[in-house]
Amino acid sequence: MDTLVKIEKVVKVYRVGDEDFTALHDISLNIEAGAFMSFVGPSGSGKTTLLNLMGGLDKPTSGNIFFENINLKDLNRTDLAEYRRKNLGFIFQTYNLLPVYSVYENVLFPLLLDGEKESAVRQKVLDLVEKVGLSDQVNKKPAHLSGGQCQRVAIARALVKQPSLILADEPTANLDAENSYQVLELMRDLNRQLKAAFVFSTHDEKVTKYVNREIGLEDGRIIWDKKRDGNGVLE
Amino acid sequence: MIRWILAGILRDKTRSLFPFLVVMLGVALVVYSVGFMEGVFMGMIDTTANLDTGHLRFVNKPFYDEEHLNPMDRALAAQKETGKWLRENSDPKVQWSPRIRWGAIIDVPDEKGETRSQTPMIGMALDLLSSDSTEIERLQLKNAIVQGELPKGPKEILLGDQLAETLDVKPGQTVTLIGQTFDGGLATDNYKVVGLVRFGVSAMDKKMGLIDLANAQDTFYMEDTVTDWLGFFPSHVPYTDYRKVSSELQSRLAGFREAPPQGWAKDDFPIVLSILDQRNMENMESMFKLVKKIIVGVFILLMILVLWNASLLNGIHRYGELGLLLALGQTHKKIVWMLGLEAFFIGLLGSLSGCLIGGAVVYYMQEVGINMGDAFVQTGMMVNDVMRGRVTLEGFLLGIGPGLVASIFGSLIASVAIFNRSEANLFRELEAG
Repeated sequence: MDTLVKIEKVVKVYRVGDEDFTALHDISLNIEAGAFMSFVGPSGSGKTTLLNLMGGLDKPTSGNIFFENINLKDLNRTDLAEYRRKNLGFIFQTYNLLPVYSVYENVLFPLLLDGEKESAVRQKVLDLVEKVGLSDQVNKKPAHLSGGQCQRVAIARALVKQPSLILADEPTANLDAENSYQVLELMRDLNRQLKAAFVFSTHDEKVTKYVNREIGLEDGRIIWDKKRDGNGVLE
Repeated sequence: MIRWILAGILRDKTRSLFPFLVVMLGVALVVYSVGFMEGVFMGMIDTTANLDTGHLRFVNKPFYDEEHLNPMDRALAAQKETGKWLRENSDPKVQWSPRIRWGAIIDVPDEKGETRSQTPMIGMALDLLSSDSTEIERLQLKNAIVQGELPKGPKEILLGDQLAETLDVKPGQTVTLIGQTFDGGLATDNYKVVGLVRFGVSAMDKKMGLIDLANAQDTFYMEDTVTDWLGFFPSHVPYTDYRKVSSELQSRLAGFREAPPQGWAKDDFPIVLSILDQRNMENMESMFKLVKKIIVGVFILLMILVLWNASLLNGIHRYGELGLLLALGQTHKKIVWMLGLEAFFIGLLGSLSGCLIGGAVVYYMQEVGINMGDAFVQTGMMVNDVMRGRVTLEGFLLGIGPGLVASIFGSLIASVAIFNRSEANLFRELEAG
């Protein structure tokens, strides 16, 4: 598999009051294209910070993050916005759907931001809505959907531009067990169909059953990096 | 994208209703204020023009220089020739009417022929008896008659109703005018009061009388002579055009002066004036423009302040949405542009609604008006008692412009905060909902 993201000796230090707080200590790892993996660990372990840095939302204090050989450190604010727009999809714990727009419109939105004409992408959006199992809800507003359905819309929105990397921060934290499993299965299916890499930050053990790779974080350090072997066991 | 933005505006009342109402109200007030001021100012111009100065005035300069003395001997002769020249050389939209300004003592006799009451008065002589006269319509004399009727024969006079009340005169009575002839002699003539008029201009209703032009020429020995030629534009011509037409005519006048009619005296030197050159109207116009600017400026400022505040609240209300836009890769500039576009649409909708409301009120004011006669009763202002608005394109433009500017500007000021928003905490902020 080709390397999609290369994280090289990354350190992230935050200034908290008069003191420095090191959120990530010398992290190095590679993420392959089409990966389906998670960062697990308790609060404050550095999971979200890592997603922030990979998403170009923040810059490391030292070290480098390469996305397809582009060093994110070299990109300015506008370039980073373009990097996110072209390459990334985001899924949030609280879905962050736009409440006044329908399911169809929420999924369409990233394409409109990219300057696409609705008529040209209408079928693409409807196909994706069908893929996430919401064809019969296409004109409903988020307020009329269940949590699981909202997260499906968020997944469709993240995937509509066919990005190569999806960053999902605690995607199942607001869902009950049944909905969590359904959403995880959906993401795994889409990962296989669309070949987009999914990277989760989570402390939900249910996610472990689905991912092919799990990286444990504690106090900003990698404490394990398990990959699923031929027998389906994470080692 | 525009459809997307419009859908958001229409569906999410919290982002659009308050700014929309602010813009609508502000624009309605601007349109109403400007329309009302335009109406009052144009009403003042038209009333002054009809009763006194015309929109244009062709007058002998020696007469104009001393008109407070009513120097009849400096009136301009060769009425027919002058009228012909004016009609051939001025803008075809202008209607020219000859008039004589006169002053006299009006004497009211008792049954024995002794003076019962007497007072100085001013008067205007104009064409009242010709079948093709436009003056009766222009001065709306049929509507202005409060008692009696219009003159139908020679030596009949219309008096202002307040003057008649002061003199205790009623239609049917005969009065004597005692004045000065064209060549400085004493002029006396009897006139029958046939009607009392009320123009709604206290200054006129207290002092003025109207007689036919030919009768005045006879009474004051002014054959083929008038003191003024007044030019009138149709009401749709804006007052800003008056000066231009006046200048054009003034430039042609040099040739007329070089080959003058035989009846003119050697030192006659007619000039062309627009109404804005007379009765301090230029200052009134400047003041009118200044007040208009102040009103529009104040409303823009107030709207910007309120809309700025509203946009800030909107920014807080939509904190998550704007964060999402950043996460999805929108640049800060693009987000500000989107908010500006949103503000433009809200401003446009608000402005158009405001124009409709303000315009409707101004239209009502234009057609019906408000009677302020009691307030003007003690003033000498040549203002019609009924204050009217005037629907003008400028009024709407002065409403729509500020409505849009305030809406967009208010939004842009509030949007400065977006430039300061860091992406580094977006995950946490968006997790917070």
